[in-house]
Amino acid sequence: MLIAHPDPTLPNEPPPGALPADVEIALEMRALSVWYGARKALDSVSFAVPARKITALIGPSASGKSSLLRCLNRLNDEIADCRIEGEVLVGGANAYAKDIVVHELRRRVGMVFQRPNPFPLSVYDNVAYGPRLLGVKRGHLLDDAVESALRAASLWDEVAARLDDSALELSLGQQQRLVIARALAVGPEILLMDEPASALDPASTLRFEELVRELALRYTVLIVTHNMQQAARVSDYTAFLHEGRLVEFGETDALLTNPRERLTEDYITGRYA
Amino acid sequence: MNVAAKGEAGTWLVAGAAAACLAALLALLAWLTLAGLAALWPSRIVEARLDDGRNALGEIVASSDAALAIRTSERDRIGGGYVRLLRSTIASTSEPDDAFVVALADGRRLYGRGDASVAAAAQRDSGSPEAEETVWPNALGFFGRAGLFVRHAGRFLATSTPAPALVGGVLPALIGTVTLVALMSLIVMPLGVAAAVYLHERRGFAASLVRGAIANLAGVPSIVYGVLGLGLFVHGLGADLDRWFFADRLPVPTFGAGGLLWAALTLAILTLPVVVVSVEEGLARIPPSLRAGSLALGATEGETIWRLLLPAARPALLTGLILAIARAAGAVAPLMLVGVVKLAPALPVDATFPYLHPSRQFMHLGFTVYDAALAGPDALRGVPRAFAAALLLVAVVVALNLFAIVLRNRLRERYRALES
Repeated sequence: MLIAHPDPTLPNEPPPGALPADVEIALEMRALSVWYGARKALDSVSFAVPARKITALIGPSASGKSSLLRCLNRLNDEIADCRIEGEVLVGGANAYAKDIVVHELRRRVGMVFQRPNPFPLSVYDNVAYGPRLLGVKRGHLLDDAVESALRAASLWDEVAARLDDSALELSLGQQQRLVIARALAVGPEILLMDEPASALDPASTLRFEELVRELALRYTVLIVTHNMQQAARVSDYTAFLHEGRLVEFGETDALLTNPRERLTEDYITGRYA
Repeated sequence: MNVAAKGEAGTWLVAGAAAACLAALLALLAWLTLAGLAALWPSRIVEARLDDGRNALGEIVASSDAALAIRTSERDRIGGGYVRLLRSTIASTSEPDDAFVVALADGRRLYGRGDASVAAAAQRDSGSPEAEETVWPNALGFFGRAGLFVRHAGRFLATSTPAPALVGGVLPALIGTVTLVALMSLIVMPLGVAAAVYLHERRGFAASLVRGAIANLAGVPSIVYGVLGLGLFVHGLGADLDRWFFADRLPVPTFGAGGLLWAALTLAILTLPVVVVSVEEGLARIPPSLRAGSLALGATEGETIWRLLLPAARPALLTGLILAIARAAGAVAPLMLVGVVKLAPALPVDATFPYLHPSRQFMHLGFTVYDAALAGPDALRGVPRAFAAALLLVAVVVALNLFAIVLRNRLRERYRALES
């Protein structure tokens, strides 16, 4: 007879940002702070993102969600007056270490943007863009890479007959799945999504969320959303950011139904002004 | 009711201005077309009988209320047969059906009356070994004249220019113009695109200095570029090249004289500003999200520019090319200093290796217009010829631009969704 004992070494309520020890970690932030010029966008944020799970990042506008995301693949490097402190561990290695090659890091940490941003190329060339950067030239190898990425993004059936059409002719929902296929084609470990469904209609959004759930079987997903229902439907874990600080992090069900912090409760119940 | 209060006065004003511009453009084109084509249309032969019993047979080349100028047979030299007749001394004029004109291979024209044997005798007497054509224009109907016109036009386009540069075709000038513009495009496009990419990627004091400098280049008069080309390329670089590589031929210059390459380089500098400005604008119009998307896929800055931004900016590249061609094909002044000649002994492109001869001097339609209209010894022949050459020059520019515009519109079609 098996009786589940609560582990006496674990406290009942872990502090914000902590995970049970048996959870595999894909990505970890340690005291991450970001400044844009003199403005501090992120203030000493620390938490770990579990591997092959979906972690939602919620919080009001300008709470630093996008800034945080753009630190993880170092896209903030492109902004001239942006300054970063702290550590970002991707698979255990600091992404801001001197010996990290930025474009190799970005292949491991893919990104999907708020509005679908397909390149003005054909559907095929959009997906093949990444593999071609990696030097894949042979026709059938490239064909295979494109097909499997499109299948993984559950777009293959819709576009198999129109691979040579311009990607800009696809619907917005299809475009957003296309940019996911494009990101998958370079073989990332982590997918960052910045409010990826905000430009989509409700039907496309549901379809998109289904896809995100499927992707979580193989990839670690970190998704920014300001839609509480979406966070509840999609994510396993949720982090709540407020004015650049991490207020609370935990399993989504627990955080949404039984928040520990007053601020979190106000936000998720809509009392936040 | 007050018209201005309804805002109609302004509408009429701007619409009127637009209509005036359009009318001026159409008038210019119509006039040029008429004058250019008239130069090739076969004219009638007139016989004028004078009061004193003499008569003059030939083509009327100018007329006024007081007098007629007639080109009669040129027995010794081109331009040697003009006569001016006071209308008061002319008893009668007629257009006899048996009047013929013999166009000799050296450009002279002989007029006479009679059948083919008379014409052949006239040609033999002239000392010219052969005649280009012998026609009886007064006997021809409209379609006969039209056929002759087509033959003249074909000869004008497709034959080379003989020595006095007053008669014959303009094929060398046509080839020279097209080759020059093509070579100029090959030089200016990579240079201009690279400069535009630099200015687009670098924001800062140095970049804005360069940007200002390039924008100001567009305002420099074109003859200044000619002097620059002469000093920098012909006398500077060209002389050095001769010393280093063609010393055995000195003192005969190879690159140390004006030539196709130096002219193309000079025009490339002349057109650089328009290319840089339009390519930079095209790059600026590409949404930043595309650039971020490419970087997020692990592309480096260079890969992003080369594989994504430049292809997406192709319509702007072609706009730059169109503007460059339009400016370059019309620039004659700088070319006069760096390689254009009235009569070139050989074409800049031919069938002998290496096919393109960048050191050769060349002929150019724009210069042909100037030369025929003002600098030739025979103004009565030259001015119609200048019109025909000008019409051809406009046609060449329009054709080159149309090609680029069609290409651009096809690309625009592909990127239309991007611009919305």
